[in-house]
Amino acid sequence: MTPEQLLALRDQAGVPSHPGIFLALGVLTFALHIAAVQVMLGAAGLTLWGAFRQDVRWRRLATLMLTTAKVAVSVAIVLGVAPLLFVQVTYDPFWYTSNVLSARWVIASIVVLIGGYLAIYLYYWKNPAGAEGPVRSPWLMVLSLMLLLTVGFIIHVLTYQMNFPELWMTWYAPGGVVDPSGSGLHAFHLPRFLFFITLSLPVIGAWLLALRRYLQVRPHEDAAFLDFLGALSNRLTMPGGLVALLLGAWWMATLPAKMAAFALSPWVLVAVVIILATVFLPRILGPRLDQGLWGYATFALGAAALILVGTAREILRYRTLLGSHGYDPLTYRIQMDWYSTLTFFLTFGVLGAATLGYMLTVAWRAGQVEGVYTPTPGLARLGRWATGLIVLWILHYFVLGFITWGA
Amino acid sequence: MESLGLYPTWLAPCIGSGWIVGIIATIHVLFSHTSVGAAIFFAWLASYANRTGQPKYLEFIRRYGLFLLVFSYVLGSITGPGIWYSTTVASPRGISALIHNFVWMWATEWVFFLIEVTGVYLLTYMATKVDRATHLRLTLIFGLAAYTTMLVIIGILSFMLGPGKEAWFTSGGYRLGFFGANTFAHLAMRTAFMFTMTALVGGIVASRFEDRDLREDVGRKLAWLGLVATAMGGLLFLWYLRTLPEAAQVVMANRLPASFGPAMLAAVVGMLAYFATWLLRPRFLHPVGAWAATVGILLLGLWPEEVARESIRKPFVAGQYVYSNQVVARDVPGLGIRSEMPLLEAKGFLATHPFIPTSLRTVHDGNRLEAGRMLALIACSNCHTLERTGMRPLGNYLGGNQDVAALAGHLQATVGTGHVLYMPRIPLNDVEARALATYLVTLPAGGAR
Repeated sequence: MTPEQLLALRDQAGVPSHPGIFLALGVLTFALHIAAVQVMLGAAGLTLWGAFRQDVRWRRLATLMLTTAKVAVSVAIVLGVAPLLFVQVTYDPFWYTSNVLSARWVIASIVVLIGGYLAIYLYYWKNPAGAEGPVRSPWLMVLSLMLLLTVGFIIHVLTYQMNFPELWMTWYAPGGVVDPSGSGLHAFHLPRFLFFITLSLPVIGAWLLALRRYLQVRPHEDAAFLDFLGALSNRLTMPGGLVALLLGAWWMATLPAKMAAFALSPWVLVAVVIILATVFLPRILGPRLDQGLWGYATFALGAAALILVGTAREILRYRTLLGSHGYDPLTYRIQMDWYSTLTFFLTFGVLGAATLGYMLTVAWRAGQVEGVYTPTPGLARLGRWATGLIVLWILHYFVLGFITWGA
Repeated sequence: MESLGLYPTWLAPCIGSGWIVGIIATIHVLFSHTSVGAAIFFAWLASYANRTGQPKYLEFIRRYGLFLLVFSYVLGSITGPGIWYSTTVASPRGISALIHNFVWMWATEWVFFLIEVTGVYLLTYMATKVDRATHLRLTLIFGLAAYTTMLVIIGILSFMLGPGKEAWFTSGGYRLGFFGANTFAHLAMRTAFMFTMTALVGGIVASRFEDRDLREDVGRKLAWLGLVATAMGGLLFLWYLRTLPEAAQVVMANRLPASFGPAMLAAVVGMLAYFATWLLRPRFLHPVGAWAATVGILLLGLWPEEVARESIRKPFVAGQYVYSNQVVARDVPGLGIRSEMPLLEAKGFLATHPFIPTSLRTVHDGNRLEAGRMLALIACSNCHTLERTGMRPLGNYLGGNQDVAALAGHLQATVGTGHVLYMPRIPLNDVEARALATYLVTLPAGGAR
C-alpha cells in the first residue's frame, strides 16, 4: 500500500478535535482496559488454583476471586469500548483493513467472549456454597480462561496486523486471487501477546495487596487470612513482574526489522524502570503497607506503569506507520466540532467524575462496615449533585434538540 | 494513481454479512432495551416501595437486577461492541462515517454506560448493605444514566437514515446531523417498546417467585406496563413512519417484504393479548410462557423491524451520503466530503480501488470472469449474497438472462444510471459492465457457484 492509498482510506469527514486528543485518550483508556483484563485473568487463575486446594484460606480467596473475575470481565468489556472507539478515529485505514482480512475471527470473537463470560457464571451457579462446599465443575473455569485468552489473542492479531500494510494484499489475494472469506489470522507476535498476559501476575499481586489493606479496616477480620494475602501477593508480584519483563525483552529482541530500532527507545527504558519500581515497591514500603493508603500504592503505581506501557505501545505503532508507511495520524484533517467536544469533556470530567465518585465511594465504604451503611452528609450531597447533573444533561438534550428541530 | 477509499470486502458464507450484522443487532436491541426500560422501572418501583412502605418490591428489583446482569450486562454488553465489530467487517465505511461524525457522542454514551454498569452491580450486590435513601438514590441514578444511553444512540441511529436537518449537508456539525423530527419520533417509539420488553422479560423473573401474592402483584404491575407501553408504541410507530424521509417511504411502500406489515401487527396485537391475559388471569404467568413471548417478540417484532430499518435507508448506509456498497455518493460541503462518483465514472472500480490484484487492473479475455467476480464482490455483495442462500441472492435478480452483451447493457441502463429504486448508482464503463455480466451469467437463478 502506498502512502497515498492509505490516506485515501481515511474518512473524508475528518476528526472533530485535534487527533492528538484521540491518541491520548486511546492510550489512557487502553491502560484502564488492560488493567481490568489482567485483574480478570489473575482472579480467574486464582479461582481455579484455589478450587483444587483444601486450605480454608485458599478456598476463601477463590470465592472472593470468583466474584472479582465476574465483575472484572464486565469492567474490561465496558472499558474496552473506549479504546475500540478511539482507534477507529485516527487509525481507521489500518483497523478496518485488519478486521476485514480476519472477519470470521472477528465475528467468532463475539461468540467466544460470550462463551467465556457465561462459563464463569455457570461455574458460579454450580458452586453456590462458595468456600463451604465441595468444588463442582472446575473445568468451567478452565474453559472460561481458555476462551477469554482466545479472544485476547484474536484482538492481539487484529492490532498487530495493522502494522503491516505492505502485506495486506498478500493476505487478501494470495497468488493474485482474491480470498474474501476473512478466514485467516495472518500475523501475530507471541512474545508481545505473552508479555501482556503475564503482566496479570504482578497486577493481581498488587490487587491482593490492595485487597488486604481494604480488609484490614474491617472489624473482626481474620488476621491469618490477611497474612496469607500478603505472602501470596509477594509470591506473585516480584517473580511475576520479572517473568513479564523477560517476555518483554523477548518481544523487543524479536521485533520485525522495520520496528527493531524501537527496542533502544527511551520509552522502553522508562517502561522497564516503572515496572521494576512497581514490583519492588512492597519491599521498599515494608511495614508502611499497613498504614494509611500505602497498601494501595503498589496497585496505583502499577496503573501508572500500565499507562506508560500503553504509551510505549502507541509510540511503537506511531513510529512504525510513520517511518515505514508515511502515515501520520496527527495530520488527520480537523473538522472542529466544539459543541460535541465540550459535551464529552464536561460529561466525562464533571458529571462522570461526580457520579462515579459518589457510587464508588458508597460501594467502598459499604464494603468496610458491618450492617447497613449510611453515607455521610457530604457524600449524600454529592449523590444529589450527581443526580441533578444527569437531570440537567437530559434537559439540555431536549432543549437543544427541540431548538435544532424547530429551527 | 487516484484512489477510492474502499476497503477489502468480506464475503460472509451462506447468509451474507448484512444479515450477520442484523442478527447481532436484533439480539442486542432486546438486551439493551430491556435493561434501559428496567432501569427506569426500577427507579419508579423503588420510589413506590419507599412511599408505600412495601420493601417486598425491592426484592423484585434485586432479583431482576441479578437476571439482567447476565441477560443484559453479559450478553448485551458484548453484543453492543459486537455490532461495531460486525459492521466494521461488513460495512467499514458505514461505521466509519458514524464514528467520525459522532465520536464524542459515542464517548459521552460510554461515560453513561460506565455509570449504568456500576449501578447495576451496586443494586444487586449492595442492595442490603446501604440505607433506603441511598438505595433509592442509586436506583434513580441507574435509571437516568441508562436512559441517557438511549438518548445518545438514538440520534446516531436516526442519522443512519439521514441527517436530522437538511442543512447538515452544507453546514456540518453534530447538532444538525443528530437532531430532527425522526430523532424524536424514533426516541418516543423505542422508549415505549423498551417498556414492552421490560415487562416481557420482567415476567420471566416474576414468574419464578415462590410467593404467590408477590408474583401476582408484580405481574399485574408488569402487565399494565406492557399494555400501556405496547399500545403507545403502536401509535408512536405511526408517528415514526410519518417522519421518514420521502425516499424511505417509497422504499417502505414498494420494497419491504409482504410479511412486514402483518408481522408487526401480529407482534403488537399478540403482545396486547398476552399482557391482557396476564392481567386478567395472573396465574397464567409462567416461566415457559414468558420465555416464549420474549422469543416471539424477538422473531416477530425486532427482527422484521431491524430488517426494515436496514432496507428503508437504501441505497445509503449512513447519512444519505455513503452508499450501501461503501462508495461516497454525494458531496457534503459542510464536512469537506467529496463524492467518489466522478472518479468512478472516469476510471471505473478496477483502476482505482486500492485492494485490486495487479493482474485484474486491466481486463482481458483471460481474466474477465475473475474481474467480474471482483466487481460483484465490490459493488454488489454488501447487499446480495453470491450464493443460493441468504440475503437477496444475486442470482435471483437476473431473470434468467444468459446473454452477456444484453446483460451488460441492461446493467448500464439500470443500476448504471441510478434509476433503480433503492439500488446505488453503479457507474459501469463498457469493460467493467461486460466483465460483471460475464460473471453474473454464471450464477444460475436461485443457485450458486
